Amino acid sequence: MSSTSTKPGASVAPGTSAAPLIKIAHLDKSYGAFKALEDMQFELRAGEVHVLFGENGAGKSTLIQIICGVQSFDAGTYSLFGENVTSLTPAVAHQKGVSIVFQEFSLIPDMTVEENLFLGHEMTSGGRLAKGAMRAKVQTVLDRLGFHLDPAARVSTLRRAHQQMVEIAKALLWDCKVLILDEPTASLTDQEAAQLFDIIEQLRSEGLGIVYVSHRMPEITRLADRVTVLRDGKFIATVNKADTSEKELVQLMTGRTFDEFFPHIKRDVGDTVLSFENVTLQSGLAENISFEVKRGEVLGFAGLAGCGKSEVLRAAFGLEVVTTGRITANGVSLDKHAPRKALSNRICYFPSDRATEGLAMHQSLISNSSIAALDDPVFSRGKTLLNRRAEKGFTEKMIDKLKIRTPGLNAKADQLSGGNKQKLMIARGLSREFDVFLFDEPTVGVDIQAKLEIYDVIKALTEEGKAVVIASSELAEVMHMSHRVIVMREGKIVGELDGEAVTEDALLSHFFDHGDEETQGQHAP
Amino acid sequence: MTAQAALSESRASKLMKTIGILPFVLVLTCVLLALYEPRFLRTSNLINVLRNASFLTIISAGQMLVIIVGGFDISVGAIVALTSVSSALSMVGLSSMGIESAGVIVALGCLMGLIPALMVGIANGFLVSVLKISPFMVTIGTMTIAAGIAGYVTGGTPIYDMPELFTREIGRGKVFGLPYIVYAAAIVLAVLWYMQNQTRLGRYFYAVGGNEKASRLSGLNTRKYIWLAYVLSALLAGIVGLFLTARVGSGEATLGSNLMLESISVAVIGGVALKGGVGRIQMVALSALFLAVLSNGMSLARIDSKYHIIIIGLVIVIAVAAESFRESRRSNHV
Amino acid sequence: MSDQAQPSGIDLRAVGPHLLLPLAIVGVVVLFALLQPAMLSGDNIVNIMKQSSLFFFVACAQLVVIITRGFDLSVGANVSLVSVASSMVMTAVMPLYGTGLGIALGVGTGLLIGLVIGAVNGVLVAYGRINPFIVTLATMSIFTGVATTISGGFPIFNLPEAFSYAFNQMIILMLPIPLIIAGLVAYAMHFSLTRTVHGRVLYVLGDSNEVAHVAGRRVKEHLFLAYVTSGVLASIAGLLMTAQTGSGEPNLGTSLVLNSIAAAVIGGASLRGGSGGISAPIYGALLIVCLSIGMNLQQINGSLQPVVIGAILIFGAALDAIKTKAR
Repeated sequence: MSSTSTKPGASVAPGTSAAPLIKIAHLDKSYGAFKALEDMQFELRAGEVHVLFGENGAGKSTLIQIICGVQSFDAGTYSLFGENVTSLTPAVAHQKGVSIVFQEFSLIPDMTVEENLFLGHEMTSGGRLAKGAMRAKVQTVLDRLGFHLDPAARVSTLRRAHQQMVEIAKALLWDCKVLILDEPTASLTDQEAAQLFDIIEQLRSEGLGIVYVSHRMPEITRLADRVTVLRDGKFIATVNKADTSEKELVQLMTGRTFDEFFPHIKRDVGDTVLSFENVTLQSGLAENISFEVKRGEVLGFAGLAGCGKSEVLRAAFGLEVVTTGRITANGVSLDKHAPRKALSNRICYFPSDRATEGLAMHQSLISNSSIAALDDPVFSRGKTLLNRRAEKGFTEKMIDKLKIRTPGLNAKADQLSGGNKQKLMIARGLSREFDVFLFDEPTVGVDIQAKLEIYDVIKALTEEGKAVVIASSELAEVMHMSHRVIVMREGKIVGELDGEAVTEDALLSHFFDHGDEETQGQHAP
Repeated sequence: MTAQAALSESRASKLMKTIGILPFVLVLTCVLLALYEPRFLRTSNLINVLRNASFLTIISAGQMLVIIVGGFDISVGAIVALTSVSSALSMVGLSSMGIESAGVIVALGCLMGLIPALMVGIANGFLVSVLKISPFMVTIGTMTIAAGIAGYVTGGTPIYDMPELFTREIGRGKVFGLPYIVYAAAIVLAVLWYMQNQTRLGRYFYAVGGNEKASRLSGLNTRKYIWLAYVLSALLAGIVGLFLTARVGSGEATLGSNLMLESISVAVIGGVALKGGVGRIQMVALSALFLAVLSNGMSLARIDSKYHIIIIGLVIVIAVAAESFRESRRSNHV
Repeated sequence: MSDQAQPSGIDLRAVGPHLLLPLAIVGVVVLFALLQPAMLSGDNIVNIMKQSSLFFFVACAQLVVIITRGFDLSVGANVSLVSVASSMVMTAVMPLYGTGLGIALGVGTGLLIGLVIGAVNGVLVAYGRINPFIVTLATMSIFTGVATTISGGFPIFNLPEAFSYAFNQMIILMLPIPLIIAGLVAYAMHFSLTRTVHGRVLYVLGDSNEVAHVAGRRVKEHLFLAYVTSGVLASIAGLLMTAQTGSGEPNLGTSLVLNSIAAAVIGGASLRGGSGGISAPIYGALLIVCLSIGMNLQQINGSLQPVVIGAILIFGAALDAIKTKAR
C-alpha cells in the first residue's frame, strides 16, 4: 500500500471540514467496453451526510464499491483519510474505518445473526471464540440501534426488513469513520426507517462521514447536507441541499424535466381482462387482494419493497400459490394457476430479476425471444418441430423495433447491457398475442435511454388496448406512468388513487402507518 | 410481535435440528438388531462395528468439510489407495536400506504415505479455488490419476513385508480394549467439533459455503478456506489409508475403492447439505455409526453382500428425499 | 461502438474452438501412426470406428443430462444390467422359441431396462427435485447390485452368434454396424437438440430452470424426458458392448461412468449446463478411444492410461473454466 500523502498536513479532525475523508478525482472504471464511471469526482467531509443521487445504472453502486475496496479502478486518484489509495481490499478498507451497508444482502443465510455480525472479525481469546464477549457486544449495539433482533436466530428465518437491520448492525458493530449506506430503507417500515434516520443524525454529530445512496426525495430532504448527482456513469454536479430544490435535483438526475421524461398515455378504458377477488397467498405476503384491470389503462402498484406488490403480479402469472380467493382472466377462472396457464390465457409477465427468471443468460437472442411462444403455431409445427426461420425473422424484427443493441443474432443474452436485456425480455412479450402485461420493476438497472424506450413500449401497448400493470419501487415511475395506482403496505391494499388524485403526497401518506405521519411528510409546496 | 414469533420458531427448529431423526433411527436399528440376532451384542462384534464406523467417520469428516465449502471430493478413495501403496513401498524400502529401528521406519513410512495424499489435496484445492474448475471434474480427474499411479507402481500386486509394529500393533493392536483407529476417530471428532464450534476457521468454512460472495465482501479470503478444505480432506483420507494398510497388512492399489461412495453417503445421510454451508461433525459420526451398524446387521442376517449396495443406495435416496421434503416445507414457512 | 471491428475477431474466436478438437484427434492419430504404423492398419481403423461408436452412446447419454446441468452416474450400472439381463433373456428364450425371437426379446428387454432406469432417475430428479448427483449415485449403486445379484456375479455365455454378428461384426458398405447405428442416433439426437422444441427447452432449462418455468415450458416433463433418453442411450451401448464381448458381463460398465463424463466435457459440453452439441460426444469419444488404442499399441502400461485421461479431463475443464471467465 503506497502511503504518499498528496496534501500537506492531512489530518482528520471530526467536525471540521479541513481535509476531506474521501477525495476522488478523475476516476475511470470500465467493464470491458462498458464505461461504468467516467471522470468521476466525489468528496466526503467529516460530519456530513453526502447523498449520492442518480438513476439505477448511473454508477452509484460502482462508485461505492470502489470506495470500500470491492472494485478496483482504472485511472484517476482516490485518497482515503489523506492517503492515496492504489489497491484496496474490503478487509483493509474495513480496518481503516470504512463500513458499508450493502443493498444486496451480504449475509450468510444459514448462520445466526450474531455469527453474521462478526463474520471476518470474530473476537477470540487464546484462539477460541469469545462467545460471551461477542454476545454482550451484539446486545449493546442492538440496544443502541433499537433493533429487536434475536442474536441466535438464523438469518434465513428472518423477514427482509429484519435482515436489513442485521446489515446495518453489522456495519455499525465496529467504530468507523466513514459509513456507506446503499438504499438502506428499501425494505424498512416507517418506524424502523425513522429510527435509522435518528441514528444517522447521531452518527453525523459524532463526526462520521456518511455516504447515503438513495433516490427517495423525502429521505434526501431530511438527511442530506450535500448531494452529488450522477448520470450514465458521469459526474453531473455536487450541490448543497440547502440551496437546491427537488425539481432541480430531479432535472439534474434525469437530464430533463418530468413532463418530457414520462410519456403521456391516453386512457381509453375497455372491458375488464384481469381481476382478483379476495386473493390470499400461501406465502402470506399478500392478503385479501381485490382489484381489476381493464383494457387501455395502466394500473400501478406502489409501496415499499416487501409490501407484497411484486407478489401480486407473480400470483397473477401463477408463480405464487393462492390459498383463498379467485383470479379471473377474460372471464376464465384460473384455478391451479401456473405460468403455462397464464400464457395461454394471454397474460404476460416480466420478472424483476432478469438474471434468474427473465433470461437464459448463456443462450442466444433467438432462443430467448421465442421461448415463451414455442407452442404457438407461428414458431413450431405441432408444438414439437421448431420453425427456425420464423424465430430468426421475429428476432430480427424485434432488434429493429426495440432498438436492441447487440453484436449479432447469435450473441448470448449475457453480452447485452442491462437496458438491452430488458428490451430482449420485452421482445418475448411481443412474441404472441397477450391482453395483460405485468411489469415487475420494469426499469431496474436500465440506463436512461433504454428507460425512455421501455416507457414508449408501455405507451404503445396501452394505446393498442392492452391492459398494463406496473409494480415499481420508483415512485416517480408508478406515479407518472399509471392511470390508477394501488398502494400496498405489509401485504394489504391500503389505498387506491385515480387520475388526478395520483400525487406524491397522496401516495406517500399511504406508504406509511398513519400514526407517524409527522416524522415523514414534511413537504414544502 | 413478529420478532417474538420468529424467536420461538427458530428455537423449535433449532431443537429439531440439533436432535434430528437420525439418533432415533440408529437406536431403533440397534434394538431391532439385538432382538433379532443376539450375536450383535457380543463384544467382538461391537468392536468390529466401532472399527468400521471409525474408518467411515474419518474419511467422511473430510468429505463433510469439502461439501460444507460447496464442493465434492471424489478422489478420497484413490487417495487411500495411493497412501497405502506409498507408505508400504517406503517402509519396505527403508528396511532394505538397513534401518534397524522399526519405530523410525514406521514413522517415516507413514510420513511418506501422507505426502502424495497432501499433494493430491493441494492440487484439488488449487484447481477448484484458484482456477474455479467444477470440483466434480477436478476430483474425478485427480482420482483417475491417483488410482492410475497407484496401480502402475504396484503393478497390481500387493506389497507385503512391512514391519510387525505397523501391521500387528497399529493394525490389530488394542488399547484399553479398543483398536487404535477408534482413538484416531475420537480425536478427529473432537478436533473438528472444536473447530466448528469454537474457532473462526470453522465459522469461515460455513460462511464460504453458505454465500461465497458475501464472505468475500466481509473480507474473508474465500480461496484460502476452499483450498484448505480440500487439503484437510486429502489428509484425513491419507490417515484412513495408513490405518487400512496396517489393518490388511499390505499396500494395495485397490484399497478404499468403495470409500468415495460411502463417504458421500455418510455425509448426506448425516445432514450435510450439498448446496454447502451446512453440516455438523457429530451428525456425520452418528451417520457413520448408523451405516456401520446397518451393514453389520445385514452380514449377521446373512444377507448376501451383493444386496448391501442396493440397500445402501435405497437409504441414500430416502435420506435425501426426506431432507429435500423438509427443506421445501421450511421454505414454504418463511 | 466497436461494432465494425468485431466481425473478423469473432469469426476467429468462433471457429477456433471448433477446429481445436478435430486437430487434436488428428494429432493423436498421426503421433501414434509415426510410433506404430499398425495404428493405420485396416483392422485397427475398423477397431477405432467400432470402439468409438460404442463409447459415443454413453457419452451422448451423458450429454443429454449435462445440458440440463445434471449428471448421470448410473450409465455404467445401466450398461452392466442391460448386458446381464438381455443375455439371460436371450439364453433362456432361444432354446424354446428360436434364435430370432430370443434376440428380439433380449434386445427389447435391454431397451426396456434402459427406459426404466432413466424413468426412475427422471422421476427423482425432475419431480422429486433431488440433486441428480445423489439420485444417480444411489441408482448406480442399486442397479449395479441388481446386475451382480441376478447374474450371481458370473458372466453369461452362449449368446447366439447371430446377435454378435448383427450388432457387431456385420459390415455394410465398408462400415461396421455399430458405426452405422451410432451415425443414425447421432443424426436423430442432433435433430432433436437443434430443431425441436424439446431440445430448445433443454438448453434453456439447463441455463436456468426458473426462466424456462416463467416462459411457460413444462420443465419437469422435459427434464424427465432427458433422463429417459439418457437411460435408453446407455442401454443401446449396453447391447452393443454385449454383442462385442459375446457374453453378458455384470461389470461391463464399471469404468464407463467417469470416461463418459470425461468424453462429453472434453468434447465441449459444460457442466454449468445449457451448452454442448452433438459434436461433444463424437469428438470426445474419438479422442479418448484413439488415445487409448494408441497407448495399447505402444504397449503403455494399462495403469498409466487413466492417468493420461485424467490429465486431459482436468485440462479440458480448465480450458472451459478459463473460457467462461474470459466472458
